[in-house]
Amino acid sequence: MELSEYFTLVFTDYTLRTITLGTAILGAICGMLGSFAVLRKQSLLGDAISHAALPGIALAFLITGTKDTNLLLIGALVSGLIGTFWIRGMITKTHLKSDTALGLILSLFFGFGMLLLTFIQKQPNANQAGLDKYLFGQAATLVQKDVTLMAIVTGVCLVIVLLFWKEFKILLFDADYTKTLGFNTRFIDVLITFFIVLAIVLGLQTVGVVLMSAMLLAPAAAARQWTNKLSIMLILAALFGAFAGVFGTAISASENNLSTGPVIVLVAAVFVLVSFVFSPQRGILFKQIRFWKNRRDLQLQKTLQFMFDIVRDHPDISHPHAIKILNNFQGYTKGTLKKMEEKNWVQVKGVQWSLTQEGYHAAENLYKQ
Amino acid sequence: MGAQLEIQLIAAVVAIACAIPGVFLVLRKMSLISDAISHSILPGIVIGFLITHDLNSPLLILLATITGVITVVLVEAIQKTGLVKEDTAIGLVFPALFSIGVILIAKNANDVHLDVDAVLLGELAFAPFDRLLIAGADVGPKSLWVMGSILLVAIGLLFAFFKELKVSTFDAGLSSALGFSPVVMHYGLMSISSVTVVGAFDAVGAVLVVALMIAPAASAYLLTSDLKKMLVLSVIFGVSSAVAGYWMAHILDASISGSMTTILGLVFLMVYLFAPSKGIIAVMYRQRQQRTEVSLLTFLLHLNNHTEESERHINHLNEHINWQRVRSRTVLELAQKNNMISIADNIVTLTKKGKEFTELALEYIVTNKDEKIEPMKDDFFLFRG
Repeated sequence: MELSEYFTLVFTDYTLRTITLGTAILGAICGMLGSFAVLRKQSLLGDAISHAALPGIALAFLITGTKDTNLLLIGALVSGLIGTFWIRGMITKTHLKSDTALGLILSLFFGFGMLLLTFIQKQPNANQAGLDKYLFGQAATLVQKDVTLMAIVTGVCLVIVLLFWKEFKILLFDADYTKTLGFNTRFIDVLITFFIVLAIVLGLQTVGVVLMSAMLLAPAAAARQWTNKLSIMLILAALFGAFAGVFGTAISASENNLSTGPVIVLVAAVFVLVSFVFSPQRGILFKQIRFWKNRRDLQLQKTLQFMFDIVRDHPDISHPHAIKILNNFQGYTKGTLKKMEEKNWVQVKGVQWSLTQEGYHAAENLYKQ
Repeated sequence: MGAQLEIQLIAAVVAIACAIPGVFLVLRKMSLISDAISHSILPGIVIGFLITHDLNSPLLILLATITGVITVVLVEAIQKTGLVKEDTAIGLVFPALFSIGVILIAKNANDVHLDVDAVLLGELAFAPFDRLLIAGADVGPKSLWVMGSILLVAIGLLFAFFKELKVSTFDAGLSSALGFSPVVMHYGLMSISSVTVVGAFDAVGAVLVVALMIAPAASAYLLTSDLKKMLVLSVIFGVSSAVAGYWMAHILDASISGSMTTILGLVFLMVYLFAPSKGIIAVMYRQRQQRTEVSLLTFLLHLNNHTEESERHINHLNEHINWQRVRSRTVLELAQKNNMISIADNIVTLTKKGKEFTELALEYIVTNKDEKIEPMKDDFFLFRG
């Protein structure tokens, strides 16, 4: 299938439309909540929670015996929350650091989940097949119902974010101040963590346990490069996430043997890469260009200063001097001389240069600021 | 040697090989690097497998190890740009590399008898079937030899560079001042971790390698503050969980690596709850003690401030300091037991000892100097740190 064919099919084909819509919504909610995770320096929480959700899915299946997505997601939500609060307990009550706590919860819960999954596989319950789609995610299994659920959660989440906007914002940037203002920081904290966990759990079915963390992080990390304003960052991150979902689905649908999850993650990674390089304020490229420009300016100024030192003792500042004498000076190149001529600081005639009135003033004021 | 014994032996060797670098990763606050490496080696493994068609070939291990080190370098490069924090850098790099691996597998599905499940989860039960033949003679399972050699190298390096590792782990500045480059140590440790993860992944899988690296070390860290003891303890935890996990899997007829991790989790949970001074119960007990003693101090200061009887009536105190009944009783009893107050007709008075104590404490609070409380430390819990 060609890409163009895909875009016509999106509007006519049920499956494709569902999947595209699902990944787009997922990308948007992950981007939005991921921004909070990134700014709260909890980037890897997503990774830990997505792994920690696995035993919940397995246990929910073991207890109910059905494969109803909503029930399994509730199981995932509960075990994800247990994981989150255990991580917090470890960090606050013991001297284990956050990286160790995250790694522990991630691997131990996941291992336990695997134990349960293999245990379930040996059970004589024909219903069990397909539980492992939560490991790697299968966007193809998304149905209308799942997308509706995602849309509802996203809506609720949006309302909560708007409702608690100033609380979230202030907690993000100055937790102590928030406390002194009398806000219930614990409540806000739990609320925001709850929604992050919820978003992760929703994404498990689509992109799977391993890649979920990237879904959460990548759009937010990309959005962060373009703005210093929280509201814009959130909107940008949601847009990036949605686009990554749509493009990822499109690319994976247009080729054989491409699972959707990894492609979405790679598309998001490309967004991040582009943002890292090309963002005008923080991007590597423009930073480097600014750096070069500053260095050139400095060289120009150094050359001017050197000329000024030569000229200063002359009664006539515009008396011509040989270009040759500049050769001993490090900052001097033919380029700088040309630049200075453009700026009307010097006049070049043959092999001689002379400082203009303007250049003399510029040099005089160079270090007087 | 029976297959059962061989599996346990492989599990034990993997556990030891993981525990040793794990201790240093936990101490250096880099536990999550092991997670990142364990996922991002996937493209290296796939490319290696496409070339060699053998999961235990040295070339594959080399390629995968290089991918692991590249991960670390990439994470550090991104971090150095200052655009995002370290954890975000980790979280960006490894899913991207892992995705490349997954796509590589999918695109070469006809060529590769390699399953993402297999890489992520591993299967120890099959390890004994892959034998190493030397000149036609069967010398044991291949993965035992691979992990055994990795373990030997790791132990050799550990003994050779123990003090360098120790110094650079706890004080990077001192280490470079003494002439041991922390950078070399860092990359050495990262390379060893990569090799271990690569060697262990087809036995226990990528995610569970992380458990084997971090969980024993974290459990040991809650029990001791001595590096050597921590190493020994984490090896013991690792090996015993590996063996116990094998038998649990045997009984439940479930995944061996999953059972090993579950046992590791239980061990950690036990240590987390019951570790003598750093366990959660000990910490909570200590915090409650301290809270009581702060209350006691507040109470004594209140008495000291008020000479009038009405302020020192028991009922009034209850209201005034606004404590719950149980709490105020505990505080009152504690003060009485220590002979700091005397109660007559429901009026509380400071004794001489109580007065002296309160004044000392007051002086400490005002000056906040440590030497003021030195003599008090013996008879008062609060100031013992």
